[in-house]
Amino acid sequence: MTPQDLVIRMLPPFSGWLALAALALPGGSPPRGAAVALFLAVGPGAALVRICGPALRSRRAETPDEPGDAAFERHSDLLEQLVLAVLLSVSAAILVATALIATQALSGDRVLLTLTLLTTLAAFCPSLRALPASGTAPRTAPGAAPPTRKGSTL
Amino acid sequence: MPDTGETPAHDSRDARAPREPAGPPSREEAAPSDPGSTARPGRVVAAWPAVPLLAALALWGWAVRHTDVSALDDYGLVSALHPTFWAGLAVLTAGFWFTVRDPRRRAGWPAAYVLGLLVMERATQAVLYPTPLYAWAWKHDAVIDHLLTSGGLQSADRLGDMAVYDQWPGFFAAQAALVRLLGVDNAAMYMAWWPLVSSVLLLLPLLLIYRTFTRDRRLIWTALWLFCVGNWVGQDYFSPQSVAFALHLGVLAVVLRRYGRPGAHGARQRQAVWTVLLSVLVIAIVISHQLTPGMLVVTLLALALTRGHRDWIPLVTTVVIFLAWCLTAALPFLSAAMPDMIRSVGDIGANVETGYGSTPTGTGAVATSWAARLLSGCVLLLALAGVLRARELRRRALPLLLVAAAPLPMFVASSYGSEMIFRVLMFMLPGAAFFAAAALLPAAQLPGARLPGARTPSAAPGEAHPEPAARRRPFSRSRPSLPSPPTLPRLRYAAWLSPLVLLAATLAFVPSYSGKDRVNYFPPGEVALVRQLFDQAPDNSLVVAANRNYPLAYEQYWRVDHYWFLEDTRTHVDDIVRDPAAVLARDMAGVAAPARAYFLLTQGQMANSEMNGQLTAAQLRRVRESVADSPRFERVARNSAGVLYVLNPAS
Repeated sequence: MTPQDLVIRMLPPFSGWLALAALALPGGSPPRGAAVALFLAVGPGAALVRICGPALRSRRAETPDEPGDAAFERHSDLLEQLVLAVLLSVSAAILVATALIATQALSGDRVLLTLTLLTTLAAFCPSLRALPASGTAPRTAPGAAPPTRKGSTL
Repeated sequence: MPDTGETPAHDSRDARAPREPAGPPSREEAAPSDPGSTARPGRVVAAWPAVPLLAALALWGWAVRHTDVSALDDYGLVSALHPTFWAGLAVLTAGFWFTVRDPRRRAGWPAAYVLGLLVMERATQAVLYPTPLYAWAWKHDAVIDHLLTSGGLQSADRLGDMAVYDQWPGFFAAQAALVRLLGVDNAAMYMAWWPLVSSVLLLLPLLLIYRTFTRDRRLIWTALWLFCVGNWVGQDYFSPQSVAFALHLGVLAVVLRRYGRPGAHGARQRQAVWTVLLSVLVIAIVISHQLTPGMLVVTLLALALTRGHRDWIPLVTTVVIFLAWCLTAALPFLSAAMPDMIRSVGDIGANVETGYGSTPTGTGAVATSWAARLLSGCVLLLALAGVLRARELRRRALPLLLVAAAPLPMFVASSYGSEMIFRVLMFMLPGAAFFAAAALLPAAQLPGARLPGARTPSAAPGEAHPEPAARRRPFSRSRPSLPSPPTLPRLRYAAWLSPLVLLAATLAFVPSYSGKDRVNYFPPGEVALVRQLFDQAPDNSLVVAANRNYPLAYEQYWRVDHYWFLEDTRTHVDDIVRDPAAVLARDMAGVAAPARAYFLLTQGQMANSEMNGQLTAAQLRRVRESVADSPRFERVARNSAGVLYVLNPAS
């Protein structure tokens, strides 16, 4: 894991813990609002996108049927990750808050703590790896025994 | 400014520089050979789009500092705005038009212009008005207050009609948590800025959707611009639908980009992951808003029915989640509302009708209402023209055409409180704006247009993984050709007509969106008066008002009841107009002590009644004078924005 990967992985939970720490600031103060809003808007979704990213990107998305350069598709993929990070974060906040209000346990601190813990957990999860595309899977040599699963008697 | 890889514009008017390459100029090409001698002039030229942008924002800043909103007339904000606001909007539109069509400009500049447009469109009211707009936004603040006070969800036994919000609590629960996390008293502290926040949130998935169908920078950003100016319906305020609409577009972006290819090895795993992510978005939509899941279902159905190149999984997932919520948490509301909903199915006339109390009355209300109609009509007509003119684009962006048309059947389904026509328009707009933008571009320059002398490249320049066209897009028949810029003919008529149409649409947004601010704005005095009422009202008190158009109308709705007499039968309203004090006192007499019955009349109620075809200002003044002269009522408070009376217990 490169230092850059580590930063990308740890930034969302760090922003969550920072937002929790910011709750110590006076109510309505701009730094408190900025820390909370930034984490709620991007943090949980970014962690989820990091986990799913490799599996999701294993094949190219639909692209305009026009000639162009690869940069366009690369930037569209980046935009897609940003869209997912934001919308998944908003959705996560909605889902957690709804679950807590339904169980009569809603409070701002609990919502933030739950999302931060989930984001931290996500940071320690390995990324979902993509299955090898057809044609690139290892082939069996002619005459060799067929591949078996580990522990299988087949 | 980042280079986003979009194909720059090829303007036929740029005959002076016809040898531009098809792709964006590389840094090497853009940079002069001797950086020491000419780097600075190059940078100055590159930053030239900043001049109209900053000029427009400066004019806007000047305008908001010199606009007085203390005495709005029937034209709302339109007549109150300082003239420099209009100049700023014109400068911004002109700057955008020439920047987006200039192939030498980085793609970040159109983005900056669209953000500038959103600031001028959606932040002006937040800057100008000292209190949040819209009675509905205040109502949503009251729902959040209810959740924070009760700590849980409640049923109709305790909340009556307002229990519907507890059955779709997603948005309100999240906002309740946000209020606590920000450490503010209530959502009214920040909800004035919500239109700007929610509009910026829409831009992200919308940009992604448009980039799925074209690389043409002009088409992408002109479509986004048209979407912004055509979205006057006003569902961007502090409401569940503002967030649900962004999530709806997010789901569509994913489906259009990721569910359009035939299965292959590993596709099942990948699709499962995408479906999990989609499900998170869909659940958030379903638990937040009633109508948006229905719109999403019809849109996904339309996509799934097209030649088998769209997947059924997103549709089935959405339907299952929607039904699961409707048959459990939302069942109490739906079982009560189902008879009315079934009756309205197929009754298109009634579903499109706006109903009593929403008929624009007076010169200003009628004029701004027509501005809105013309704006929507203009965008839809442009979209139709774009569909008819751009055959190749129509074929490639067929899914977007379906996205635009799919909401139309919802007219048949329900009136949605006389609002269905506006909601259908809003959900059509993402697709319509794309084709409307195509109509503003010369036909010869649209993506895929074939021109005499145009070359058909055998492979896309710089394409990393060239594939046969049939594999790249299952619904495409052949790879189109890109017209060669040097051979483009001059098209003079479009050079001026298109920017003028764009400017007219941009200017028409202001009366469409802000033309009813006299109804929607509540001055601080009005807020203070209503707050005074709730500070002293005992439990189970009754508030009688002309209509619900005032701030805090639903404040503490779990312990204070309401009666809005203009929503009663016409005969009873006529009775009240004939003998106001006597009839109102009789209506209010059933309140048992220690609860009290209050009569509240504010300028927001009067503006709403007058401008929407209910009682005239003179009739409402007569009601107020009758109550004031009656010994049965005692005045509690009065200020420039309204008056508050309480019914004497003896009466």
